Amino acid sequence: MSLAAEAFVSQMAAAEPWPENASLYQPLKEDQILLSDCATSLAVQAYLRMCGLPVQVVCRANAEYMSPSGKIPFIHVGNQVVSELGPIVQFTKAKGHSLSDGLDDVQRAEMKAYMELVNNMLLTAELYIQWCDEATAAEISRPRYSSPYPWPLSNILAYQKQWEVRRKMNAVGWGGKNLEQVYEDVSQCCQALSQRLGTQPFFFNKQPTELDALVFGHLFTILTTRLTSSELAERIKSYSNLLSFCRRIEQTYFEDKSS
Amino acid sequence: MHGRDLGVNPDDLVEAPEPEQEGKQEILENKDVVVQHVNIQGLGRTKEDLLGYEISDVFHAKNLIDVMKKAHVARQKLLRLGIFNEVEVLIDTTEGADALPNGLDVTFEVTEIKRLTGSYNTMVGNNEGSMVLGLKLPNMLGRAEKLTFQFSYGTKETSYGLSFFKPQPGHFERKYVADPAPQTLFPLGMTSHTLKWEGVWRELGCLARSASFAVREESGHSLKSALSHTVSVDSRNSAIFPSRGALLRINQELAGYTGGDASFLKEDFELQLNRRLFWDSVLCASLWGGVLCPIGGQSSCIADRFYLGGPTSVRGFGMYSIGPQSEGDYLGGEAYWAGGLHLYTPLPFRPGRGGFGDLFRTHFFLNAGNLCNLNYAFRVPYILWFDIESVMCAGEGPRAHLQKLAECIRWSYGAGIVLRLGNIARLELNYCVPMGVQSGDRICDGVQFGAGIRFL
Repeated sequence: MSLAAEAFVSQMAAAEPWPENASLYQPLKEDQILLSDCATSLAVQAYLRMCGLPVQVVCRANAEYMSPSGKIPFIHVGNQVVSELGPIVQFTKAKGHSLSDGLDDVQRAEMKAYMELVNNMLLTAELYIQWCDEATAAEISRPRYSSPYPWPLSNILAYQKQWEVRRKMNAVGWGGKNLEQVYEDVSQCCQALSQRLGTQPFFFNKQPTELDALVFGHLFTILTTRLTSSELAERIKSYSNLLSFCRRIEQTYFEDKSS
Repeated sequence: MHGRDLGVNPDDLVEAPEPEQEGKQEILENKDVVVQHVNIQGLGRTKEDLLGYEISDVFHAKNLIDVMKKAHVARQKLLRLGIFNEVEVLIDTTEGADALPNGLDVTFEVTEIKRLTGSYNTMVGNNEGSMVLGLKLPNMLGRAEKLTFQFSYGTKETSYGLSFFKPQPGHFERKYVADPAPQTLFPLGMTSHTLKWEGVWRELGCLARSASFAVREESGHSLKSALSHTVSVDSRNSAIFPSRGALLRINQELAGYTGGDASFLKEDFELQLNRRLFWDSVLCASLWGGVLCPIGGQSSCIADRFYLGGPTSVRGFGMYSIGPQSEGDYLGGEAYWAGGLHLYTPLPFRPGRGGFGDLFRTHFFLNAGNLCNLNYAFRVPYILWFDIESVMCAGEGPRAHLQKLAECIRWSYGAGIVLRLGNIARLELNYCVPMGVQSGDRICDGVQFGAGIRFL
């Protein structure tokens, strides 16, 4: 569909209220999902809970291929399918639900900048550790990614994904980095976030915004996922206000969910 | 001294023909001859033992006409192997120390085919067109093995294929083919059987962003590893416009027990009967049917289901546009049947008779068919024994399915012109009137064009 047609369809969709049976699709939770996908999925779930929109989480082995953009998670609302946090935020905005309405232009620009920081630093670091670090890739990423598929398809798909991510890392300039540098980058990113958060409950004082959902998604997943080394989690734990931020959001919005 | 000397001498020079001796007019047919040597010249990489089977019959010839006939048959057999560009036969009297007065030498001069050939063709299948690039290595190891690589890029499907073909020496009809599915074909009395193992890596994707969610749910990769068996009996006198004879083909496929994640049992059959009527017209009745049973509780994959409709099956309906659908996308069904009744006549007033006009026929047809999904009670596995009865009453048993296939039949009638392409394909231009249309089917009433290989 052309951009104009997509915009038109979004307008039509905006007219309908949020249905009861909206669903969010992600890979299988127990065996398949990886750190980066879990983080982005949790960010979207947190955002929808903050907006007060009910959504049911459905796990499918082929969720990545079902998604229109190839990225997880995606939501199925009415007969619309939208993937990734950015488009989902715009979609809910078209339906009249938004968290960042109260912000002025300067704050909105700042929020966008921090969201870009998280995406460029944290998400890329997660992908690097999963797929470019050979120990993690061999022990965790490849077996988990290929678990729903029979041999030999499992090997082929796992290696294909690994090569794809490595090419992407080279393209963004992370191909030459080693693990220590990646941990340093993560630390710096957390420091920037920690400074911005300060002692406030949320990044923009009283109300949570999509930035809070995104940061929560990534940090909480890193803290609760077991990798080959716990170095990444340790770096985040050194910022206590981020830890309490995560706990607060978990208790407020996910209290029916076991951590 | 005579007979069984399989003297294959690749370095022999061609013997000069003897000058004709005038005055000696004998009746050659009645003259007894003995074939002393059979030579094959021009062999490069072909192994000699393979050719022995094809030419051994020549030694049994008793007189000159017989030698010529048997040499001709042997030449056909050598060409049939597909490894020679040209085969020429030279029959001459023997010369030399051990020559008998009525001895003959038969020499086959062959030119071997090149080691590597390439081809580029365009192909029309069942309402789709494609471009095919091929690379062929004939006679790879000297015993008529053939390795082919094919890349096909089409309007609906893109595929790669690598196939290996090796005939059994001496029994050219029995073949071992790996395509890349290893299969063996063997005749058994009047029937011809094919046993095949097939491994397919499938990737399904949505072509449009607006594809229905039911189709989107099927996206992704899957691996099908299946054993299939086909038996076919074909007594027709032609594949495209038969005027008599019948065809019965039954195919079954079992997937899932040799690996892969598709797991089902699929049966389908094809029956065609032809009978010549008055004035060169032919009445043809055909029946197709099939059923797909998923094994192990998972539902069937969209790539394995049957599809119905289009100019090659039930005419008057859009391509594959009959049966269960979701938001305009057709999902196929697990059971179907389709039948057709045709009356083929030559073109009215028979223009171009004896030549171009013979490629055309007019036909009047009546097509019918139905397609549905099955909700077998035993699709749920490992159910407790005492629960089966209650589930079967709640779900649907086989009788309900037969009933479903008999209700709401789609059918159509019409007339058109058919053109034969070679001996494999047909082009049709029909005027169709679809009837029995159910909600959700897409029809194509009026003029419909179709091209393909397999028609109802």
